Amino acid sequence: MEVRELTKKYDGKTVVDSVSFTIPKGKVISLIGPNGAGKSTVMGIISRLIARDSGLVAFEGQDISKWKSKELSKRLAILTQTNNIQMKLTVRELVTFGRFPYSGGHNTPEDEEIISRAIEYMELQEFEDRFIDELSGGQRQRAMIAMVIAQDTEHVLLDEPTNNLDIYHATNMMKIVRRLCDELGKTVILVLHEINYAAFYSDYICAFKDGRIAHFGPVKEVMTKEVLGDIYNVDFEIMEISGKPLSIYY
Amino acid sequence: MDKLAITNFIMFCSVLSRKGAKVKKYAVTLVLVFILIVLSLLSLFIGVIDIDLKALAGGDSEAWWIFLASRLSRLLAILCTGVGMSVAGLIMQQLCMNKFVSPTTGATISSAQFGILLALLFMPASTLWGRAIFAFVMAILGTWTFVWFIQRIKFKDVVMVPLVGIMFGNVIGGVTNYLAYKYEMTQALSTWLVGHFSLVIRGRYEIVYLTVPLVILAFIFANHFNIVGMGKDFSKNLGVHYNAVLFMGLTIAAMITASIVVVVGSISYIGLIVPNVVAMFKGDKIRGTIIDTALFGAIFVLVCDMIGRVVIAPYELPIELIVGILGSLIFIGLLMYRLKNGRKAIRLGAAGSSACAAAAGAAAERGEGA
Amino acid sequence: MRTPAYRANVRKLVIMAAIVLASAAAYMLVEVNFSSSKLMNYALSLRAPKLIVMLITAFAIGGASIVFQSIINNTIVTPCLLGMNSLYTLIHTAVVFVAGTGSVIAVNANLAFAVDVAIMGIAATVIYSYFFKKTNHNVLYVLLIGTVLTSLFSSIQTTLTRVMDPNEYDTLLNSLVASFSNVNSEIIVLSLVLLAAIIFVLRRELALLDVLTLGKEQAISLGVDYDKCIRKLLLGVTLCIAVATAMVGPISFLGLIIANLSRQLLKTYRHSLLILGSAFFGMIVLVIGQLIVEHVYSYAVPVSVFITVGGGIYFLYLLLTEKKV
Repeated sequence: MEVRELTKKYDGKTVVDSVSFTIPKGKVISLIGPNGAGKSTVMGIISRLIARDSGLVAFEGQDISKWKSKELSKRLAILTQTNNIQMKLTVRELVTFGRFPYSGGHNTPEDEEIISRAIEYMELQEFEDRFIDELSGGQRQRAMIAMVIAQDTEHVLLDEPTNNLDIYHATNMMKIVRRLCDELGKTVILVLHEINYAAFYSDYICAFKDGRIAHFGPVKEVMTKEVLGDIYNVDFEIMEISGKPLSIYY
Repeated sequence: MDKLAITNFIMFCSVLSRKGAKVKKYAVTLVLVFILIVLSLLSLFIGVIDIDLKALAGGDSEAWWIFLASRLSRLLAILCTGVGMSVAGLIMQQLCMNKFVSPTTGATISSAQFGILLALLFMPASTLWGRAIFAFVMAILGTWTFVWFIQRIKFKDVVMVPLVGIMFGNVIGGVTNYLAYKYEMTQALSTWLVGHFSLVIRGRYEIVYLTVPLVILAFIFANHFNIVGMGKDFSKNLGVHYNAVLFMGLTIAAMITASIVVVVGSISYIGLIVPNVVAMFKGDKIRGTIIDTALFGAIFVLVCDMIGRVVIAPYELPIELIVGILGSLIFIGLLMYRLKNGRKAIRLGAAGSSACAAAAGAAAERGEGA
Repeated sequence: MRTPAYRANVRKLVIMAAIVLASAAAYMLVEVNFSSSKLMNYALSLRAPKLIVMLITAFAIGGASIVFQSIINNTIVTPCLLGMNSLYTLIHTAVVFVAGTGSVIAVNANLAFAVDVAIMGIAATVIYSYFFKKTNHNVLYVLLIGTVLTSLFSSIQTTLTRVMDPNEYDTLLNSLVASFSNVNSEIIVLSLVLLAAIIFVLRRELALLDVLTLGKEQAISLGVDYDKCIRKLLLGVTLCIAVATAMVGPISFLGLIIANLSRQLLKTYRHSLLILGSAFFGMIVLVIGQLIVEHVYSYAVPVSVFITVGGGIYFLYLLLTEKKV
């Protein structure tokens, strides 16, 4: 996936300012930056949820707006933070929706098989028949991921997946992200607030500031005192733990 | 460079407006008084029977009697209605700290109607005063219940309050309807459902004068209402009896509303819109706005009444219909304005003390964007 | 996927259908004088059209409410609460106002209905899409604007009737707006055709409803052409409301009650079941309600008054217990 000269304005204010980058396949890429830096908007644009003003998002060589929505949904899955599902929906029924782009609602035994595997993969078997709104935040998030797995796309976009989760569940979520990439070979792009999660669990970091890309590169390149200090306007120290650069800010 | 110039201009503007505020404060009121007088005179001479001016000038007692009985009574009723409803709305909004509360959206009007129905049911021979007492009691009870109710609930959004109020009013209205149908009172009740001035003649409307002492009372206690509106702790700190003032204020508002409903029938939206429009220009200090609110309310009702009389002359459209159309349009406009300009816009009125400062503030935001 | 829950729901629906049939039979046969075939035929010929009208109304409102709730992703909102039915009565009055009370449009119920429905489709889509967009789908604002629109539409409508006939406006009003004591049974055939056409044209979008409940982002992620789908469904909803209002006049709270009862009883996301459940509830409420009105209150209190009181209280309850408003 390639992003070129992306620009978006809200009420005359430029939120995304000619952003260009290329997303490497089969890696975990984190988008970080202060509030209002434009990372979530970029995420929205590359996942076709938000219309851009100018620029290009090329996906498998074709502009994303030219893709048929259904075809795209077999290749690219999005998970946003607004999952206030109000309907009475069991975990299995939710995961079943992941097959919708393929089956259109009429599942084959093969679809059912994929759904079962996705549920197992997320270790949700015992909750299979529970309603979504009866689950804890972490379980609900896992159910949503299971749906994305059932959707069986090469690319997965996650908008602040650790939001509203406690440390235990947030860390679990990041481990899942890693497994999606390592075990299932997916390209995962996520927006994160917590820098150290980005540093520990991703391959690349794309740092935003004021609607522009301040730095894009492998984790070690971005996780430096200078780069981070420049983006957040706070003092940073970088330490190395288990071979990964982690930051302390004060 | 441009930005700087704009900012400077705005600063200059707001300083100027603060200096001019004292003069302007009364200028607005004076203009309103002037408009009101002109419109009142106009209203006196629009009507079905052409008034024989010569006869009046010649001191013809019969002509004077007709004039007084029909025109002047009507004008006075209109003025009392406009002043009363808008002041009642202002008090309720101030006390509940919510710009969307009013006799319409606080179940006061429907409770008053319910009271009238009860009077018709239990005392079929009741006089206007008898009905008024029933309407007073029910309006007060209804408003108290509503406010008691909304104070016990944490609302996530201020528009929840009017929604609950409208629905509460709907339920009371439904019960009124049920009883009216059951005891075949629908015909009798219909007079009070759609507000109109065509039945205002001498001897049938004087209850509406009750609004005058009530409005004066409201003016005297204006500062108390303001303090209570700031919250329970705030008023305690200043030594104001929160509950006493709250219930007194609500009682005044309910009584004003009921005395109008008994004579004229239901008139919605005035209590909602007039205080909001005035607050957009003058801010929220109740002492400063109560007179303008009252004047503007009177003008609004007067204009609506004139439209109602002219459209299908010689017939008359009930004022409730005109107010219903204009009022709901303005209300939707206010809602959209609030949505566009953020939460503060209407809740705090124009944050500054004068219209110019508010306009300057808005201009500043736009200026920075550009 | 035929899970136990699904089978249980199907059972519930079958029981409801049986209750609908039983209450319909009761409505047709209670206090009919069987000894005289003439009287019996007379009673049946009076009741049959009314029963059919109630069944169609219940289906139209029940289905439209469920669909609308899923579109806007909130269960305390129904199209009637937003004033769609007042809009329809306004449109009908305005059409008669423009064409004249003696014109073909005013006299021929079917023609009037067709014209009204066409205007309704356009007007409602324009007005409500505008407010949804402007409020960013903020449910509370949409609701408040909707209730204000209700009073705006009915004020204009009453004004028009008064302008048309300043003396006999009450009579005119009664002839313009249908009610349970004055159902518009002339348009039964046309309504059925219209409803069938709506369902046929929207069959694809209706199948997508289950996915739409996941919310906009997720629906798009699963390959739904969201905006187009919503637009089409919204149009279908307005037309259903037009059918119901044309037949029995405005009944604001019916949709709210039956849609939520259906959701509570069936506890599912499957719209095929929810819509059926809601329609059945509507049929039961209307038919039994009308039965009581006719035989206990001897027609004195219209059934819509009961629905308003009950529905208003229910709405307050929902509004105050709703966690995710």
